[in-house]
Amino acid sequence: MKKFFSRHGVSILAAAAVIAVGLSVLTYFSSTSTFLHNAAGVLSSPFRAAAESVGGWFEDKQRYYRDYSDLLAEVKALREEVAELRANARQAESDREENALFRRLIGLREQRRDFVFESAKVLERSSSNWTRTLTLNRGTSHGVAARNVVVSSEGYLVGVVTDVGLNWCTVQTITDTDTELGALLFRTGDVVVAEGDFALMGEDRLKLSYLPVDTALLVGDYIVTSGLGGYYPSNLVIGTVESVEADDNGLAQYAVLAPMLDFDDLTEVFVIKAFDIVE
Amino acid sequence: MLTRRDLFIKWSAYGLTSLALTFLFALTLRDVELLGAHMFFPPLLVAVVASLEDPRSGVSFGLVCGVLCDLTTAGTFPCVYTLAFTLAALLGAALAQSVLQPGALCSAAVTLLTFLILDALNMLALFITARAPLGAMASLALREALISCPLLLIVHPVLRHVHDRFTL
Repeated sequence: MKKFFSRHGVSILAAAAVIAVGLSVLTYFSSTSTFLHNAAGVLSSPFRAAAESVGGWFEDKQRYYRDYSDLLAEVKALREEVAELRANARQAESDREENALFRRLIGLREQRRDFVFESAKVLERSSSNWTRTLTLNRGTSHGVAARNVVVSSEGYLVGVVTDVGLNWCTVQTITDTDTELGALLFRTGDVVVAEGDFALMGEDRLKLSYLPVDTALLVGDYIVTSGLGGYYPSNLVIGTVESVEADDNGLAQYAVLAPMLDFDDLTEVFVIKAFDIVE
Repeated sequence: MLTRRDLFIKWSAYGLTSLALTFLFALTLRDVELLGAHMFFPPLLVAVVASLEDPRSGVSFGLVCGVLCDLTTAGTFPCVYTLAFTLAALLGAALAQSVLQPGALCSAAVTLLTFLILDALNMLALFITARAPLGAMASLALREALISCPLLLIVHPVLRHVHDRFTL
């Protein structure tokens, strides 16, 4: 054993170190994935899809019976909400016409939000407890690129594409510890930062930091992307304020944000490949 | 003494068995959450093979598993699995050769060692990059190891069978 370590131990560790450093350097400097990374992703895609399909099927069957009574209550609540939203929509339609008239009068450009979407299926949720990522079945061959934003079918922010291969991409979700997004408190327009936090990641929550001193946050306040810098579209809903806490030294406050979606239920998402927003 | 052909067959069997176990795990237990954590499977494969095989083979297997995990799984930094699994296999092989007889107990000890090394690297990375609280990270590491170790009841006998079938 001793002979083995003296003969091979250093060379094996050196080999591991070279491979490790090689992987790190290639990952750091490339905007898309490296050849090996890409090949591994392409080869494992069918297995990931199969595992997700079978797992999803079992989960569907379990939920079918468990959720039935909950669904009846939800349908009733949703009917009431639809009625309220229809009333709001009628009011919004008249407001929109009035707004358009005022814009024409003062010579402002027409507001618009144009997105180029790519629909994608979730192939895999992160198998590690230390990160929160999703693997999707869309990649460079579908026009997906690193830093593209991913939203749910309801338009809620899911995360940002961090790694892309030929027919797959990895999405860092908003609750991952590496996430940091420019955000707006929708009610007041205050600029804040939404960031992943390790202590909250397990509960699928994130943190709202750098709160202005005079900010009066209310539980349930909507937090949306600020769009500052132009990397990400503005006004995508990140989540709502769940609670406001004091940080460890008691000098500053932060808020706990609850995303609008359940990451475990996500099966289909939309990648925003390009956007053009006039506000 | 195994011939080159025997070695090829043995390592092909290890590879295919590992892939089959990983796929089976992904189909059944991957999304199960216990104590607020998910089971993590790859360290068990590395640990069991490192405890059963000679040091050179065990470390090579750890290195290959690490690279494959880095290529297919998100980690706290790009080469975390390569470093952790190689180091764990090296130390695990030393443990199996000099302290414990290869067997279920040795596999369990090497598995814990593998989780310890992997989670220490994860904690270090997250502490440096995100100032993550050490208490919360240690708690997660402990829960992850606790809920993953029972999978040894399946992984150890299966890989032991492959080892006995192609080595003895």
